[in-house]
Amino acid sequence: MTAAKPAMQRLRDAVNEVDFNRFRFWFQITAFILFVYGGYLAIDLGSKLPFFSCGYNREGRAGVCYLLPLQHQLGRNWAVLFSMASLTILTGFLTFAAWFIVLNKGWCGFVCPLGTLQDWISALRRRLGIRYANYTQGQFAQLTKIKFVLLALLILIPLGIGGGLFSHDMSPPFCLICPARMVLPLFTGDLSQFTIDFSSKTAVVMTALGISVTALFFVGSFVKKRFFCFFCPMSALHYLISKPALLKLKKDGSKCTRCGDCYAVCDMEIKEIADDVKTTNIMTDDCTMCLKCVASCPETGALKATFVGIPIFVSTETGFIKRMNKGCQHGK
Amino acid sequence: MENEIHQVIPINPVPYSRSRQAGEAQTVLDHIVDDFQENPVAMQYFYDLFRQVYCHGDEIPHSGKLVGTTCIQAPEELIYAFGATPVRLCNGSYHYDQRGADFMPAKSCSLVKATLGMLSSENVIPKIGKPDLVVNPSTCDQKKKSSVMIEGMGYSVYDLEFPNVKESEASRVYWRRSVREFANQLRKLTGKRLTRANLKAAMAMTGRAQAAFRTLHNFRRQTPSLILGKDAFLVTNAYFFDDIERWTTAVEKLNAELAERQAAGFRAVQSKAPRVVFTGSPPIFPNLKLPLLIEEAGGVVVADETCSANRMLYDMTAVDEWLLSDMVDSLADKYLKPCTCPIFTRNDDRKRRLLDLVAQFKADGVIYQAFSGCQVYEMEYRSVAEEFNKAGIPMLYIETDYSPDDQGQLSTRIEAFLESLKNRKKRHA
Amino acid sequence: MTSLNRLFALLFLLMLSGSLFAEPSEAQKAEWRARREAAGGEAPSEAQRAEWRARREAREASAKADESKPTVVANEERIHPTSGKSAPVPELSHDHGAMGSRPAADKGAVKPEEAARPSGRPAGMGMRGGGGAIWLSDSPPSRGDGAGRGGMGGMMGMGGMAMGGERSGPPSKRLWMRAGSDPQKSGFAREDADAQNETLIVRPQGPLDGEALAPPADGKKNLAFEMPVQGYYRVYASSRKLQGETLNISVAKAEIANFSHGGDEEERAQALTAPRVLDSAPIEIVREKAADEKMFFQLKSGDEQAFVVLQKGLPLQGARVRFVSHEGWSKEAVSDEQGRVSFQVIRDYFPAWDDFKKRFKASYLIIAEANAAEKGVFKDQPYSNVRYQATLAGNYYPSPDDYRSYAWGLGIGLLIVLFSGTAVYLYRRRRVKPFQEVRFDDGR
Ligand code: SF4
Ligand code: SF4
Ligand code: SF4
Ligand code: SF4
Ligand code: SF4
Repeated sequence: MTAAKPAMQRLRDAVNEVDFNRFRFWFQITAFILFVYGGYLAIDLGSKLPFFSCGYNREGRAGVCYLLPLQHQLGRNWAVLFSMASLTILTGFLTFAAWFIVLNKGWCGFVCPLGTLQDWISALRRRLGIRYANYTQGQFAQLTKIKFVLLALLILIPLGIGGGLFSHDMSPPFCLICPARMVLPLFTGDLSQFTIDFSSKTAVVMTALGISVTALFFVGSFVKKRFFCFFCPMSALHYLISKPALLKLKKDGSKCTRCGDCYAVCDMEIKEIADDVKTTNIMTDDCTMCLKCVASCPETGALKATFVGIPIFVSTETGFIKRMNKGCQHGK
Repeated sequence: MENEIHQVIPINPVPYSRSRQAGEAQTVLDHIVDDFQENPVAMQYFYDLFRQVYCHGDEIPHSGKLVGTTCIQAPEELIYAFGATPVRLCNGSYHYDQRGADFMPAKSCSLVKATLGMLSSENVIPKIGKPDLVVNPSTCDQKKKSSVMIEGMGYSVYDLEFPNVKESEASRVYWRRSVREFANQLRKLTGKRLTRANLKAAMAMTGRAQAAFRTLHNFRRQTPSLILGKDAFLVTNAYFFDDIERWTTAVEKLNAELAERQAAGFRAVQSKAPRVVFTGSPPIFPNLKLPLLIEEAGGVVVADETCSANRMLYDMTAVDEWLLSDMVDSLADKYLKPCTCPIFTRNDDRKRRLLDLVAQFKADGVIYQAFSGCQVYEMEYRSVAEEFNKAGIPMLYIETDYSPDDQGQLSTRIEAFLESLKNRKKRHA
Repeated sequence: MTSLNRLFALLFLLMLSGSLFAEPSEAQKAEWRARREAAGGEAPSEAQRAEWRARREAREASAKADESKPTVVANEERIHPTSGKSAPVPELSHDHGAMGSRPAADKGAVKPEEAARPSGRPAGMGMRGGGGAIWLSDSPPSRGDGAGRGGMGGMMGMGGMAMGGERSGPPSKRLWMRAGSDPQKSGFAREDADAQNETLIVRPQGPLDGEALAPPADGKKNLAFEMPVQGYYRVYASSRKLQGETLNISVAKAEIANFSHGGDEEERAQALTAPRVLDSAPIEIVREKAADEKMFFQLKSGDEQAFVVLQKGLPLQGARVRFVSHEGWSKEAVSDEQGRVSFQVIRDYFPAWDDFKKRFKASYLIIAEANAAEKGVFKDQPYSNVRYQATLAGNYYPSPDDYRSYAWGLGIGLLIVLFSGTAVYLYRRRRVKPFQEVRFDDGR
């Protein structure tokens, strides 16, 4: 037992002192390849994935984003919707929740192909030496609500379609304006989403809207880190069910100096991560659980990621110094 | 007007090393070195440094423009990045304190008076040369008010605007702007351009220094202590004027020695020596009065929360994108956000930091120094005392200044306090 | 940054309103029409189109008058990409050798069937009466025009989805026996007492040689069955009748794909590899699945589609195979040594712009015939010839190329990227944001 402890400790230290950004970069690439091209290897992880592994990427996807079946299920004819057949909505949701619970919002920070893509666009901007944009606090407070509005619409519009209030050309409403629908299929050479559908007025509006959002996605994520995630209804849905999640972002306020280092690196501009010293479960609705804050906190034990209560990545002074030295030397 | 003043004060024609001022430094240094046993060998560098600078009046060479700072809030990374050298002007000499009394009301902060006294004298010790720019962050009232006086002494002064409230977003934005503006000012001063490479190099330099400091800081967690507080204060005091690379190397050597001491099971103090966290107005050489009194009386200062040591070197900067805009903003944040300076409206962070230090360093009590005339520390006493009361941590509040006159009375109080800490410890054990 | 946001909001609004008014111009419409025609083989003449239009309008009028008839319940779960993916579909004819070596199908010109052709099939073709070939349709006569809501009923080019309109319980399906060789005009097939009829259904997990399917009951005209499991349901309505020396054997077949999104994966996988041929069928047409065909397949006009004619499970060479489009166009080809023929699905849906429905369901009909000098006895009567006839119907839809425009899509996208990009750039350059007026030049 005494022999095992140093080994365990050594492993812990190695993890805590890892070159985090590089680790995350490779992890994200791997996940991106898996979910955007995994389909070619006949990988199919179902259609209840808690991140944007877009179903419209027909060839390459290794599984489908839950929002797609959710909207379809809710868009059923009301007679069907309010019958036992809708048990599948419940089971579908439970499957989704089961996936989600494992990584919590970590799906966003590490796996979601659309999130990764935004990070790449940011990296491009960084390489070009162009500064990123920030919201002011006031803007932040306003904009952060949008994702909940989108989530509400994503549920209500399909219900309206099922009830015959809206045209079927609006289905599935969020997918039609989701940038992932257009962007991810591009990676498998499928450009077919980049069309305007002239078959009806609604279709014209929806497809034009979709194209526009995608265009704004490119421009937005070029100047703003994780531009889209800020508005992502998946993120809102995550937050609503994040209580029982296994992966948690924890903060020990007594160790925090409120230095703001974590805030400085946070792509989502989350102030609470630095300023809140009372909350222990510090994940907020905007958080993507990228854990960059943990990697850049100089106070040992102030921030940590835990899995089922076991700390798996803890902020340490040594880790911080190592990473910052690296930054000073080759940081981009 | 000024000339008149100078005429009234008799100027000592004897060489500096035999002046009363040098004598003051000599006495304290001898006390630090000789009255304690088993000083770390690596401390010799610092003893020698202070002897040369304060006792012999040796010159300190520097490169580029010299930028004097009166507070830790002036971002030194920026100064280094522009190829200039920062020097901290805060002074601890009683001699200058008396001299500065001409500028300030009698009952004002010794530190400010001493700084003014130093700047107003021809023979500035430490002999750093005349700063090309004095950066005076607008912190406490006394500092704010000294701006004009320093200008009157013929220095060019830059008031670095510093907010009074640190929690609000407005002040963050305001401060970031101040820092950007400061960079502008430095560009004008040096005629150089701020570049990514320069700033990164500067940050690497200060980062290394901070890392060395943190290592030293961490060695002080050890019980019984490996090193005394008076030495630690001397080390951080040297950072005020020493060449940063040389300083870092010396600290790294000291750290290596402490590591050996740790491995050898060395104890710098008795195991039952009460461990004390020092907070409040900053001890600056030669005014190491309180730390020395504490350690003479058998206590040991294991950590501090002062702007001449911990607060100056502890907090480190994280940068997400190594672009100038991000680096400068992150620097600004690191200077403002974690700062526990008493000039802010609220002091929650200071209280939390103190509690954490007591816990982390297994301290038995806290000694709170307030320079008489330092309103902000005096006024914060109440809330800090309440916090410690709640936590059941004994605290001794001492109001004092640079004069050596109260030494006897203080040592009685300190001994009594340490005694009570010892008794408490026994009872708890 | 407030203004940046405002900018974005404005842009959104602009686009929204822009796209609302983005009615395609006349020129644009003309262009699409031209493209449509170019892709759809030879263009029907204006006169022809006018005629079709008139016919459809007449039909729609009569359909309206006929509201009381049971409607095809459309399934709301349509073809969309959630479909779990199908494993590559094994080619139907894996046992028939290489498909690649087939001779190119006869690409003879598609010619409109003479409009007024009397049910002019060779005498004796209609054994159940009604004239013309007997075939199984997923809609009753006069409602053949598939523009129903969602247009999602059943056969969907044989690979579509079943109707799941029932409130609960498994989805069910109804098929109508129709006679005629024009998908829209064919009426109900009449009973023929002389004929010997048999209706079989092959269920996905049932016996491979099928089970008997009860004939329509209670005076209803449709064959109804439930589809509790996922997979392909095949119905074979065969009929034998002696006419002089000739025995007429006809097999009308329907293949219905029943898949659902939430369904059991194993069931699906099984269904996708199960055989689609009835070995006992005297003659049968099988729609060939393309190698990359998905579970929720939709045939689009303009697509090339191959069929295989089989006799007792073996390829039948030399059968005359006719493809009849929704509007009655037809084309004939002869099956090759692998029993294979292929047709390009003609484009024959040309509504006025406002009436265009992208989910317009059109039906096609395949009729295969072959004669054989086989001797035998039927109902105690000898015969010396056998005339085989097989039919298969399916659906097809307008090609997306008809209504989707890349030019517009990419154009709008590019425009917005340029516009918002420039706006952001200018904003960031010109703005003197309070407290941010000090800029750093980040060049090294
Ligand atoms: S379009 Fe967006 S919401 Fe829809 S399936 Fe794709 S990723 Fe999910
Ligand atoms: S918040 Fe971002 S990372 Fe998370 S699902 Fe949405 S797009 Fe993906
Ligand atoms: S980086 Fe760590 S110490 Fe600094 S504010 Fe964040 S949590 Fe607190
Ligand atoms: S709070 Fe931390 S984990 Fe969450 S988005 Fe910000 S940096 Fe990432
Ligand atoms: S000790 Fe007090 S009065 Fe003196 S400089 Fe510091 S804050 Fe100001």
